[in-house]
Amino acid sequence: MIKSGSFYFSKSHEWIGRDSNNKYRIGISDFAQSELGDVVYISLPEAGKAYKKAGKIGEIESVKSVSEIYAPVDLKIISVNSKLNDTPELINQEPKGAGFIAEVEISNDSDVEGLMVEDAYKNFIADSHHE
Amino acid sequence: MDTDESKKTPLYDEHAKMGAKIVSFAGFYMPLYYKSIIEEHLNVRNNSGIFDISHMGEIIIKGRDASYFVDYVFTADVSKIRQGDIVYSLILNEKGGIIDDVTVFKFSEDEYMVVVNAANTQKDFAWINYIQTGFQKKGKDVSVQNISDAIGLLSVQGPKSRDLIYPLISDAVKIGKCGLFDFKFKPKNIKDLKHFEFGCAEFKDVNIEAMISRSGYTGEFGFEIFIPAEKTAVLWNYLLKNSHLSSLLPVGLGARDTLRFEAALPLYGHEMDETINPYDAGLEKYLSDTKDFIGKEALKNIKNKEKRLIFFKLSGKQIPRHSQRILDENLKPIGCIASGTYSPSNKFPIGSAYISDSGVNASFLKNFFIDIRGNFEKAEVVLPPFHKHVKAGG
Repeated sequence: MIKSGSFYFSKSHEWIGRDSNNKYRIGISDFAQSELGDVVYISLPEAGKAYKKAGKIGEIESVKSVSEIYAPVDLKIISVNSKLNDTPELINQEPKGAGFIAEVEISNDSDVEGLMVEDAYKNFIADSHHE
Repeated sequence: MDTDESKKTPLYDEHAKMGAKIVSFAGFYMPLYYKSIIEEHLNVRNNSGIFDISHMGEIIIKGRDASYFVDYVFTADVSKIRQGDIVYSLILNEKGGIIDDVTVFKFSEDEYMVVVNAANTQKDFAWINYIQTGFQKKGKDVSVQNISDAIGLLSVQGPKSRDLIYPLISDAVKIGKCGLFDFKFKPKNIKDLKHFEFGCAEFKDVNIEAMISRSGYTGEFGFEIFIPAEKTAVLWNYLLKNSHLSSLLPVGLGARDTLRFEAALPLYGHEMDETINPYDAGLEKYLSDTKDFIGKEALKNIKNKEKRLIFFKLSGKQIPRHSQRILDENLKPIGCIASGTYSPSNKFPIGSAYISDSGVNASFLKNFFIDIRGNFEKAEVVLPPFHKHVKAGG
């Protein structure tokens, strides 16, 4: 069970969390947005569509690069954050808040157990991205 | 991050301390951005920005026959310029392909400095050396020296850049040593320099003598500052300490690219390479018709343009990228992207492309498409530059 206000992270730098209304949301991590730089375009997933864990749900483009966004767990898209169409910079400004990507439904709460909690994710970044 | 043998400029530690995103580019670890490409870009357009471009190469050509030599190696009329002037030129191979695009600084009839693209420094130096060997065998007096590692190079660009530079320098208008350089002529005051002229000045407080040129790669008013490598960090920090004079921000390579592209300034490896001739690239105005130079003979046989460089904007939001395909109205491939980026000044994607079919008329290109990872994005030809007023093309 995901606690409200807590976030779980995938190795491909997406998060899933539960907001104050007990709805699940997904997005990309603060680390991911800082690596991308200024986000100028995002292709959002389709509302109503189900995606398997690690399946590609969209693309995110910054001035310099483009990356794919993957489903952190098996999920179904309830609605997308359409504000990102006109203000993709929300992803840079509030990656875990107003810059979320979609509201989702997940079949098993326990699916998130394979993901990393915030501290574990921080260690993961430190280990895999030291320069 | 790749574990190659990239070099560091004298400012690597300063960039790291400022939290820059560092990438390997042209054999150097360079800052891509400090905070935001868009913010850095717009600050150069509106105020001023400072760039570390110490990765660029500098080659000195000296000797009694230096003027004759530079006229043969470079396509532009180099020896005709005055001491203290700079000229943009191409270096061609014997087939007329572009080896590099460079700027040449004239110190005297006997001494020139060439500033080359970082990625091409070794290649250019080897080529110029090869030509020099041939000259020497014929008894000509020319020597060539790669002084890239000894030089730190800062670029200060933007409409307010003069508000930073003028108060911090005292002009050293004299004949003789200027940092690493030897001026055999009396240079102009820095404030009197016109575009593509250079002089000498001392930065007060830090006592650093610098060769300063009125030049840059952004489409804005600006300066490039040549100093001894070991003094680069001191000058960088001194200029940033005075950032309030011109609302100065450090700017990384990301914004350097978006700035140069909005100004439609070509980039080697994108708008030019050894398979592209100067006519294709629209650079024929840099070919002298009053002297011989390497590649000139081959160019005589190039009658028809094989490719044409076009500039375009997109109505969608996806960014075109180097080497993506261009499709005509009927989705027939007609070319490839040279450069593509997001234009921070216009807030839409822009690009350049080589279209291969010389029969394609630009006026037919009101509606064409770019294959961006399988999405066919609509594009329209426009006339650059992109940072002033974007005009419809044709």
